Amino acid sequence: MFTRHVTRKFSAYLHEELSPEENRRVAEHLIGCNRCRVEFERVRFGMRLAQQLPIMTAPQSVWPEIDAALRKEPVTQMITGRRSRPATRLAIAASIIVLLVGSVLIIRSFFSGAQPSWAVARLEGTPRIGSRAIVGEGNLRVGQWLETDAGSRAQIDVGTIGQVEVDPNTRVRLLETKPTEHRLELARGRMSARVWAPPRLFFVNTPSGIAEDLGCAYTLEVDDDGNSILHVTSGWVSLQLTNRESSVPAGAACATRRGIGPGTPYFEDASEGFRSALAKFDFSADKMSKDSALKIIIGEAHARDVMTLWYLLSRVDASERGPVYDRMAELVPPPEAVTRAGILSLNQQMLERWKEKLAFAPNPNSPKLNLKKI
Amino acid sequence: MLKQMAAIREQPQVKSAIDESVIVACQRGDRDALRLLFEEYKDRVYSIALYSLSGNEAAAADVTQQVFLKLISRISQFRGDAEFATWLYRLVVNTCWDERRKERRLVQFAEFGVLTNSRREPSQTIRYAQHELSEHVQAAIAELSPKLRLPILLKYIEGFSYEEIAAVLDCSKGTVASRLNRGHKALARRLGWLRGQVVIGE
Repeated sequence: MFTRHVTRKFSAYLHEELSPEENRRVAEHLIGCNRCRVEFERVRFGMRLAQQLPIMTAPQSVWPEIDAALRKEPVTQMITGRRSRPATRLAIAASIIVLLVGSVLIIRSFFSGAQPSWAVARLEGTPRIGSRAIVGEGNLRVGQWLETDAGSRAQIDVGTIGQVEVDPNTRVRLLETKPTEHRLELARGRMSARVWAPPRLFFVNTPSGIAEDLGCAYTLEVDDDGNSILHVTSGWVSLQLTNRESSVPAGAACATRRGIGPGTPYFEDASEGFRSALAKFDFSADKMSKDSALKIIIGEAHARDVMTLWYLLSRVDASERGPVYDRMAELVPPPEAVTRAGILSLNQQMLERWKEKLAFAPNPNSPKLNLKKI
Repeated sequence: MLKQMAAIREQPQVKSAIDESVIVACQRGDRDALRLLFEEYKDRVYSIALYSLSGNEAAAADVTQQVFLKLISRISQFRGDAEFATWLYRLVVNTCWDERRKERRLVQFAEFGVLTNSRREPSQTIRYAQHELSEHVQAAIAELSPKLRLPILLKYIEGFSYEEIAAVLDCSKGTVASRLNRGHKALARRLGWLRGQVVIGE
């Protein structure tokens, strides 16, 4: 159901000043409302600008002038003025102030000392936060590890923006949680995430890349060597490492390798031969092996695999681009004004135009996610 | 021009050295305690005054001095039923308003010559971009109306919550939220051309 626009609440949302219900309403609305998302990005940009405002240093001359004023009139006289009171009343008043201010400061320091944390629920077995076993529910604080053994599973509430289910034999750590960024580290094992926040708020670091949520649900698995595989079930996820990036749509998967980063995304219904050739192409260091893998990829490609071929256009050597283009054009003819020469020279406008026709670009009006539990 | 990354500036987390014993000592007239109080707040008070008075250094220094003299003369009235910082910033805001009314000074930021004394010490590689970005932000802040500017200053200079800002400005939390929203949008609109030219830390 369409809900009222939430543009007035963006600053409060980003500053975490909304109630959990309001927070969730804003997050849900943002997923489905392109207009509000544009406005949200504007407010967030303004907020980032304001954060650059420096604190200036007061001139050295200020205190000497205050001091000089204090010398003209004794401090005690300035403070008490004409309303000086008997010493006993002053002492009582001072004691009350000490008590009140003390209470306020103690309460304030107690709360300000509390680190942000995420609620964790035990699903099975005995998951642990640090060395402490979770009985029922626990809290995962920034810097803490959550670990499951072969017989345990846990569920994490990602603030108010999503949920993560942690499978057996998994090790995750909370790295950051703030209005503009929520970040986990997945060292090994498998987790499933469902995020209903606006894009680019939830990140998962792995040894071979960073998964950035673009409004989605997905499963991410890291093996003992630090390599990972991502399966996207809804929306989009971007995988990145240094200058390599792959955006993976629903129904597709993408592998990453330690020291290399993300490979090329592929739809899960691609043939076995296509997928294994793609893995060879993405991660083999041997040129001949890559060349033969590319031939298999081109030969095995079906209509849905054009997404993979589109990514390969800019990942293959210039001499290999022609056969990739020809197979793509055979499967999904390019739109008007997109020429072979333009694509072979990697004309960005033409590439984007073809991508739009292929309809695998992230859709800003992607359907709302099911907000129920995973 | 601004392709380098500007420094990440976290929300100020004010770890105050001022506890109740310092305030009581100030109320007794202890000069060392008053100096401690001054040192703790002087830069933030000065910054808010400076940005409120369109970058007029002399007026901002004058306001800072007035604020602390008022604070000294009125500290006996501080009852502890409000946060000390909230109480102090009410003095700051009122003194700035008085100053604006008195002087009606509106110095443009082109004349703003104090940008080099920022307290932050960024690394060499980002200093230039940060300095330049900071100049643009200050100029844009100066163009905001006082209604929109003050909540932004209290939020980003002092790190106040909406409730604390509302207490200082004597308005509702909803008003604070609305003014901050409008302030952020106005900044984004004025500095929209910086998008894509500068990477601002989260």
